Amino acid sequence: MFNQLKNLAGDEYYLISSLLVFMLFFLIVGVYLLKLNKQHIQMMSELPIQDQKTIANEED
Amino acid sequence: MQLERFTYDNKIVRNFGIATIVWGIVGMTVGLLAAMQLFKPAMNMGNQYTTFGRIRPLHTNAVIFAFVGNAIFMGVYYSLQRLLKARMFSDTLSKIHFWGWQLIIVAAAITLPLGFTTSHEYAELEWPIDIAITVIWVVFGINMFGTIIKRRERHLYVAIWFYIATFVTIAVLHIVNSFELPISFLKSYYVYAGVQDALVQWWYGHNAVAFFLTTPYLGMMYYFLPKMAGRPVYSYKLSILHFWSLIFIYIWAGPHHLLYTSLPGWAQSLGVAFSIMLIAPSWGGMINGLLTLRGAWDKVRDDVTLKFMVVALTAYGMATFEGPMLSLKQINGIAHFTDWIVAHVHVGALGWNGFLTFGVLYWLIPRIYKTELYSKKLAAFHFWIGTLGILFYAIPMYWAGFTQGLMWKEFTAEGLLKYPNFLATTIQIIPMHVLRSIGGALYLIGVIAMTYNLVKTMKASSLLANEPAEAMPLEKVFINESATDRAWHRVLERKPMKFMVLSLIIILIGGMVEMMPTFTIQSNVPTIASVKPYSALELQGRDLYIREGCVNCHSQTVRPFRSETERYGEYSKAGEFVYDHPFLWGSKRTGPDLHRIGGKYSDAWHYNHLVDPTSMSPGSIMPPYPWLVTQQLDISTTTSKINAMRTLGVPYAEGYEQQANQDLQIQAEKITAELKQNNIKVKSDREIVAIIAYLQRLGTDIKANKQPIPTN
Repeated sequence: MFNQLKNLAGDEYYLISSLLVFMLFFLIVGVYLLKLNKQHIQMMSELPIQDQKTIANEED
Repeated sequence: MQLERFTYDNKIVRNFGIATIVWGIVGMTVGLLAAMQLFKPAMNMGNQYTTFGRIRPLHTNAVIFAFVGNAIFMGVYYSLQRLLKARMFSDTLSKIHFWGWQLIIVAAAITLPLGFTTSHEYAELEWPIDIAITVIWVVFGINMFGTIIKRRERHLYVAIWFYIATFVTIAVLHIVNSFELPISFLKSYYVYAGVQDALVQWWYGHNAVAFFLTTPYLGMMYYFLPKMAGRPVYSYKLSILHFWSLIFIYIWAGPHHLLYTSLPGWAQSLGVAFSIMLIAPSWGGMINGLLTLRGAWDKVRDDVTLKFMVVALTAYGMATFEGPMLSLKQINGIAHFTDWIVAHVHVGALGWNGFLTFGVLYWLIPRIYKTELYSKKLAAFHFWIGTLGILFYAIPMYWAGFTQGLMWKEFTAEGLLKYPNFLATTIQIIPMHVLRSIGGALYLIGVIAMTYNLVKTMKASSLLANEPAEAMPLEKVFINESATDRAWHRVLERKPMKFMVLSLIIILIGGMVEMMPTFTIQSNVPTIASVKPYSALELQGRDLYIREGCVNCHSQTVRPFRSETERYGEYSKAGEFVYDHPFLWGSKRTGPDLHRIGGKYSDAWHYNHLVDPTSMSPGSIMPPYPWLVTQQLDISTTTSKINAMRTLGVPYAEGYEQQANQDLQIQAEKITAELKQNNIKVKSDREIVAIIAYLQRLGTDIKANKQPIPTN
């Protein structure tokens, strides 16, 4: 696995820079997640279960 | 603060559901037919329209775009309305979307067997259908965003993020991969050639898996699994993390389909690195799904829909672990071009896409019909026979893949290929292909049982076409404006358009980093002076090669392994493909590689082999192509083909299009004369002459080269 990443003849800049771009991106998402409000998360995760507030049964 | 009453459109959900089932049966039946031809070629029914090369793309298109496509729309139309507390934006757009999509599928089912194909895998449909797909996709987009805009729920649940990313990315992929120059109503050439075409195709192909077979299904999983289990998703934070990481990383990984080819090395390494990273977000999704069932495993025992979901998630986990492993060069060197890849994609297709679809259908149909499932026992039977079908499919294919991949590479103690005849490796795995067909048949039986079960369910009740619902209008929704609420992420969740643009930027970063250097830096595709454009006859022959779908079984790229250079000859160089619109490298070697076939055998050998492959290679599973002898070559297209190629940058001499057919005639006469010497009488205007001309040209230009060729 590592041999193929060792002999890149200058191509490593592509790898390193793309990895850095991703790391930066990952950190931004990470910070975003840490700052998220717990109540909000709770509310969001319950959205699909609460959506059944239809009045279908009245028609039954 | 007035509560608003409205209705959900269940009819469109039901229609997409029925289309899912119908096309699922069609696509899987065609798949079974194709699979049987791999051990009994006569199963092509002696007919060009039902021969492997033409129906294999029919199978893949039918299961991906018809079965899975309709299932996506079913899932999206059901969940979107409920998550947003709003009816779909426009009933008319819903109908146009539904019927437009079905018409596209019918057009595919007609044109592919007729041999109209671009030859780009999973994008075989010709340019007029490509345009229709774009229009219908936009209709779907307007309908989805219209619904998002008129929603009564301020926050967009994570499932909707996945749907938005799907919409945006598929649009970009489809458009970039469909740049074709039409030469007639149903024939076009890709503007890209050779290595660049290969990179575009696999950037598309890989991300079609990501954004058609994965992201919409993850969205559906995030909606339907919590509903089935009656509990929220395990970790909403994890779902956010894995969403952004997934769409960011997936887009980079395409080049792992082109390892050891003449694609520039840096692009290959980039593809490998991102493929390995992909394990993390993929498993994030699987773990989040499976852990949603924590404490609810007792339900799994009783509830067949949850059983389907558990196997679907497990299959997703297996396939997404295997994918990164397969992109390691050492493993790829053995696995690529073998049945291993077929096994890999079917674990995903049958397990993840198939079983998740069945789970959703069993859950959803009784609900929109306000009834109970007709038979839980029959559904359980479907589950077990389907699971058995997957095992019977996947295990023999893995076995066949390992066996053949290793046989290709095996040398004797004297340093010679142990199996110099490719056919020996094909015959070895035929029993595995028989078992695979049994697996496929078992899976199909399960789907037929499901169809019966669901039809009975529907007949027992009537559809609740417009399901009444009520919700507060959006403006009145109370929002707690604390400091964190004003944070950008919260804003983003409420702004679907900004969200779409951000997703677009994220997927474009990876796509551009990969493609721009290949397109702009000359040194990435070193040209070879002796490589010349195809003659008129060879070009026509090449188009017949495309029409017959030869690329489905034969690759045209020799990898730089000793086992391959011994077997086929010099490894393939990027500069050899500069006039190939489209590239024909292929992705599977059911038969041997053909890049160095030119000059290897006589014209007579090719003639006999095409008419009856077993006459030259006893035991061969290649189908016979007798119609190439009876059908006349259409030379009315020669001029427009030469002109089109010149427009695309192929350096045909000025005025060549005028004398192209004359030139074609001379070359055809020469081949017929040589065949005559071998007691083969055939008219020079037959299709077989053109295809022989093309095969004899393949990979020969490099032999005239006197200059050193830069390595790939």
